[in-house]
Amino acid sequence: MILKRKPWQTILLYVFVVILCIVVLYPYFVMCITALKDNKEMYAIDHIMPNTWRLSNFADIWSAAPIFKYLLNSIIIAGGATLLAILCGIPAAYALARMKFKGKGIFMGAVIVSQMFSPVVLLVGIYRMMVSINLNNTILGLILLNAAFNQAFAIWLLRGTFMGISPEMEQAARIDGCGTVKALVKILLPMAAPGIITTLIFVFINAWNEYTIALTLISTDAFKPITVGINVFYGFNFIQWQYLFATSLFAIIPVVILFLMIEKHLVAGLTSGGVKG
Amino acid sequence: MKKKILSMLLATVMVAALAVGCGNKETGGSNEGGGASNEDAGGAGNEDEGGSQAGATVDLDIIISQYGNYTQDWWKEFEQTFEEANKDINLNIEIVSWNDIYSVVNTRISSNAQPDILNISGFADYVLDDLLMPAEEYVSDALKSNFIPSFWESNEMDGTVWALPILASCRSLFCNMDLLNEAGIENPPTTWDEVLAACQAVKDKFGSDIVPWGLDISTDEGQAAFSYYTWNFGGGFVDDNGDWALNSEANVKAVEYIKTLIDSGYCNSAPFTDTRYPLQDAFSAGSLAMMIGPMNMVAADSEVNYVAAELPGEKTALGVCDQLMVFKDEEADAARTEAITKFFDAFYECETYSDYMVYEGFLPATLDASDNLAANAEKYTVGGSDATGSSEYFATFCAVLPNCNFYPMQKPEWMDVRNGVIDVEQNVCQGTMGAQEALDQLQESVTK
Amino acid sequence: MKKKTLAIRPYVWLLPSVILMVSMILIPIISVFKISFSEVGRSGHIRGLNGIENYLDIFKDRVFWHTLQNTFVWTIVVVGVSTVIGFILAMVLNQRFHGRKFVRAVVIFPWATALVIQSVIWKYIINADYGSLNVFLRKIGLIDGFINWTKTAGSMFGWECWIGIFVTFPFVTFCVLSGLQSIDTALYESSAIDGASFWQRLFKITLPLVSPSLTVSTVLNIIYVFNSFPIVWTISKGAPADQTHTLVTYLYQLSFTDGKGGHAAAVSVIGFVILALCASIYMIISLRREES
Repeated sequence: MILKRKPWQTILLYVFVVILCIVVLYPYFVMCITALKDNKEMYAIDHIMPNTWRLSNFADIWSAAPIFKYLLNSIIIAGGATLLAILCGIPAAYALARMKFKGKGIFMGAVIVSQMFSPVVLLVGIYRMMVSINLNNTILGLILLNAAFNQAFAIWLLRGTFMGISPEMEQAARIDGCGTVKALVKILLPMAAPGIITTLIFVFINAWNEYTIALTLISTDAFKPITVGINVFYGFNFIQWQYLFATSLFAIIPVVILFLMIEKHLVAGLTSGGVKG
Repeated sequence: MKKKILSMLLATVMVAALAVGCGNKETGGSNEGGGASNEDAGGAGNEDEGGSQAGATVDLDIIISQYGNYTQDWWKEFEQTFEEANKDINLNIEIVSWNDIYSVVNTRISSNAQPDILNISGFADYVLDDLLMPAEEYVSDALKSNFIPSFWESNEMDGTVWALPILASCRSLFCNMDLLNEAGIENPPTTWDEVLAACQAVKDKFGSDIVPWGLDISTDEGQAAFSYYTWNFGGGFVDDNGDWALNSEANVKAVEYIKTLIDSGYCNSAPFTDTRYPLQDAFSAGSLAMMIGPMNMVAADSEVNYVAAELPGEKTALGVCDQLMVFKDEEADAARTEAITKFFDAFYECETYSDYMVYEGFLPATLDASDNLAANAEKYTVGGSDATGSSEYFATFCAVLPNCNFYPMQKPEWMDVRNGVIDVEQNVCQGTMGAQEALDQLQESVTK
Repeated sequence: MKKKTLAIRPYVWLLPSVILMVSMILIPIISVFKISFSEVGRSGHIRGLNGIENYLDIFKDRVFWHTLQNTFVWTIVVVGVSTVIGFILAMVLNQRFHGRKFVRAVVIFPWATALVIQSVIWKYIINADYGSLNVFLRKIGLIDGFINWTKTAGSMFGWECWIGIFVTFPFVTFCVLSGLQSIDTALYESSAIDGASFWQRLFKITLPLVSPSLTVSTVLNIIYVFNSFPIVWTISKGAPADQTHTLVTYLYQLSFTDGKGGHAAAVSVIGFVILALCASIYMIISLRREES
């Protein structure tokens, strides 16, 4: 902002920002140092920093549990769900933004309603349905579910993005002989890139962080995503906090990096998408 | 515009209602299909379909509770060995943590996708819904007579034995003797008044650095705490006739005693949510002075100098005996029965079974393994708990076990009582209700 | 755009999305509705229809009404406070200052972390006996003895709300930030020349212009927070004495630990009806605004 600040305002601003950073980073700080502690130090209450820095914890987790497999599963599930949600969402959002048809209102209403049911609420129903189509305990099942539960948000964001873009360019392209699909792919999608990227990231992160469905649906160890996989350190007799947190850091880092990479697009995408939804 | 919205909402509702109407039949039908085809669905996942159609092979879906950090490894090995010996049987063993196992099993049952064999604690609910096969049908006479009789009988309901005891454990009072001695206490407390005195001594000596007494009245296992205190105050879940007696005078005293422990500041700060596991860890790390826990609770690498003593008061310990049970399968044939029998024979085989007991640190439910472990426990690998690789340990605890009390799990109201007593403990200790009032209410709701 | 498209064409475009949502969401919804009218055994076995008995039982349950009250408090407090904090933070982040990029990156952390991981770490932090918050506060000399952070049901629920706020406010911040960045700075400059105070600018320019983004974030947050499960479940599981449940954890407990699947389904349906009511109110308001 262009407005000049008085000195006390600047000080206030920095105080606020510093406090904020401390509060927000505190849990992550605790996570990091706990991940570096020896198991015996977990309940020590006279010091904050580890007495012995066990960097080896970060190496140990890979052999203590199939962490790599869990991470890979998470990537497949979140990536697959994102792709599917976008592929189904783009045509739907396009139709809602550019076409007039009967039942459009009902469809929009249904989309909003569908977002209201959290998967936890539907757990029993979901499980029954997955069993009936033989997809319980499969990664494909999780991909489908995550895509479906993020569909509403994807459609909502994408529709807003498309509506914010003037249809003139596409019409011009169509006059030049492009079909609707071609005009969509060639003209609209590149222009809507920020909104699409926002949607991609949102769906990806939602799917990456999803816990409850995966917990109930997946029982074979080899198919577990990381959010469920880390439960192995929460065993029957012993909780291995240091491994739990070391692994959690590996689950957080990729998402944060992803976020940081697209932060600009994210804000732009929300502007063009969400606001006009 | 308003009309439009209204009609839109109405239409949505109508569509939903219609869908519910026709859905009834549809979902019903598809479920049956699901139940039948589940065997391949659950099976391995990557190479299903083919396997079961090959003809001769039998698939067994098995759910095992996660007893330790390495439960998975032991069963993986068992699966391999078993499948090599029985080429026509394909085991699909899932290890599920105690945190999730009831959710997983419940959801699977309501989806008609129950496993063939389940390892869990408690079977009465499944019997009531007619889901189980009598366990006797899968057990050879030799194996049957090998089970410790009291364990075998504990799984009887309406004259039928519905489940097999998989393993047992019993609870002791664990005392960190270094801490107690430093606080001026020589021996583990033997009465409830001594417990209070010992707690006070520890508190005076160490302040907030050491928690004197570990208490878990969380929804996780609050019924265990109820049993420790009520039994050792002379009360309990049932009276001598086996009828519910939850509001007895002794029980009221016991619950009030729990409140005294908390109010005096002797306990861990969050007994409502602390489960046994962080308490055990804290004990192993030396920051908790006393707690009641299972005999294998101290971590193998712990440096704590501890004693596992008898419970104070009446000295009645809680015995816990988990079960293996077989679910009904409409299309079951002789091959399935045979496969399950083979599975049980292989699992309870003395060497294999002894190995598993040492590995997890629990007590065996069979006679030959009890004898074997009391003599040669050292030759098996320990999976993560302290002291379980010693024969002396097994000799001691196997002898204690017959004197333990067990939960009245075969009573159909058990789960209501279990949840009810936890509610009572939490309400009383929060001060929202008196012990007498809370227990009266529970007794009334259970016996009505 | 105004031209009439071929009658069937739009539906073809919608088809993939419709198939996905019907199969994965509508069918489970139907089955939950059906279960809510069925008698379900404790083992999860469905015994048959029993009318509205599940609903009557639920309405008779004291815990249900308390839970309902909690759910409203939880949703209003978490969404309300997050919106205020998120809004202020967005205003701050819209300023130019050293380290702004860093702070923006920091704010992303709580948003990007899985709820279940957040909850576990907070549970470890606020543990009164060995939790790092007590150790930390004692180390810097703020407290002598350890404080029992979750002594009463109220304090427990308070912490849960705090964690809820902690994970929710970044979303508001970024929504508002996007709104703020679309405001033409010329507006502020001219108002500064007119001598408008900070508050005047806030209420006359900023708020009206970011209100669309605020609406979006609020509506989405209401839905997400209302349905949020891992925080309460990890921290308290409703303890002590079922006093800290929200509808979602309550129904999970009914379904999976109490073995009352029918009751749980009934609570699902009730939660659904509440949200549907909120959504229709929102739609009526926003459509009316569009008209005017």
